Amino acid sequence: MKSQHMLKYYISTILILLMIFSVKAQNNPDSDQDKSQDSTKFKQKYGLRLGVDVGKIVRTFIDDDYTGLEINADYRYSKNVYIAGELGTEEKTTSTEFLNSTSKGSYFKVGIDYNMYKNWLDMENMIYVGFRVGASTFSQTVNSYTIFNTNHEFPEATITESIDFNGLTAIWSELILGIKAEVFTNLFVGLNIQLKGRITETEPDNFENVYIPGFGRTYDSGSFGVGFGYSISYLIPLYKKEK
Amino acid sequence: MKKISTLLLLLLLTTASCEKDDICPESTPTTPKLILRFYDISNQYDTKNVTSIGVTSLDENGETFVLAGFNGVTTDSISLPLRIQTTAENFTRFTFYKDFALDDNGTPNDPSDDIFSGNPDVITFTYKREDIYVSRACGFKTFFSELIVTVESDGENWIINPLILNRTIENEISAHVKILH
Repeated sequence: MKSQHMLKYYISTILILLMIFSVKAQNNPDSDQDKSQDSTKFKQKYGLRLGVDVGKIVRTFIDDDYTGLEINADYRYSKNVYIAGELGTEEKTTSTEFLNSTSKGSYFKVGIDYNMYKNWLDMENMIYVGFRVGASTFSQTVNSYTIFNTNHEFPEATITESIDFNGLTAIWSELILGIKAEVFTNLFVGLNIQLKGRITETEPDNFENVYIPGFGRTYDSGSFGVGFGYSISYLIPLYKKEK
Repeated sequence: MKKISTLLLLLLLTTASCEKDDICPESTPTTPKLILRFYDISNQYDTKNVTSIGVTSLDENGETFVLAGFNGVTTDSISLPLRIQTTAENFTRFTFYKDFALDDNGTPNDPSDDIFSGNPDVITFTYKREDIYVSRACGFKTFFSELIVTVESDGENWIINPLILNRTIENEISAHVKILH
């Protein structure tokens, strides 16, 4: 009985709100051409959204060992499906007690985003899952290393002649979970986490891929990786379609 | 809101779980030691103890030091660390004392005035370095190859003949050098 009561309350609230909005919409001179249509239906923007990963730009400025830039784009294919991709370059120096190496290269990722969020009225925010296939071409340089030795009677030896590994490639797949919110008209901010798994990679001889541009750092335990994205993007509306 | 907090939790969990790879475990098999076994000159198949062996070498400042564990032990087998240099050709020079005794001049904490007694033989190991990648945390270890042994002749050598059993030092499983005395 109680829940039925609540349901009634919700429905009436929504109806009141809808009425307010529809009155507003009718008063809006922009909606003149929509007069023939039911005013409770909302049109949504379809178009190309272009953006950058702000996280990578900020990190470039604050982290001496990192330089990176990524542009991202998505195209709204249907109500919930977006065709999406990223293009970027990264340079990262990884140093541990015994090893200092630099990875440098560029990458692209393509795939889709699926919006799981039911938007309120004419809003176009997203809580989405995405899938990508990523590919990177890169090089690695061992800048210096100290030979690992458990015998400490003689001094440690640090080798500073650099060793280059060129023409390396890697392909991986990605599962993305993220949000995008429209903060101003057509301007979106987003946050996402990426879980990645390597499919293939070129293994350098007598070394390993410590960091793969686009994929991120690798782990000894397996072919998995994680990544984060913080994006700002702008939607170029191409056409509108009913919700 | 619930979904966003799940996302943030996932984010936290994944960042917190990535430190293990950055520490090189002590148990990792890394740069091996050189293993020597002493054999009887009169019967080359039998091992023979060296009475009270002492091993010294020079440190980076040219000061003589006694290698840990080799200040007068009686044994037929010893393992020694080799010096790693950044040059292509590396060497380590040791002095092997038979009937070793150490007189610290009454100052056990000051090794500079120590006097060694016994029969010293100067032995030099020359080798090449071959660096092998281990992991991101351990970096590289070294194998030694093309081992050469020379004993300086001093008129009363107790080391009669050093024989190389394995020119490449990759592990500490068996002896690399057999010394007849």
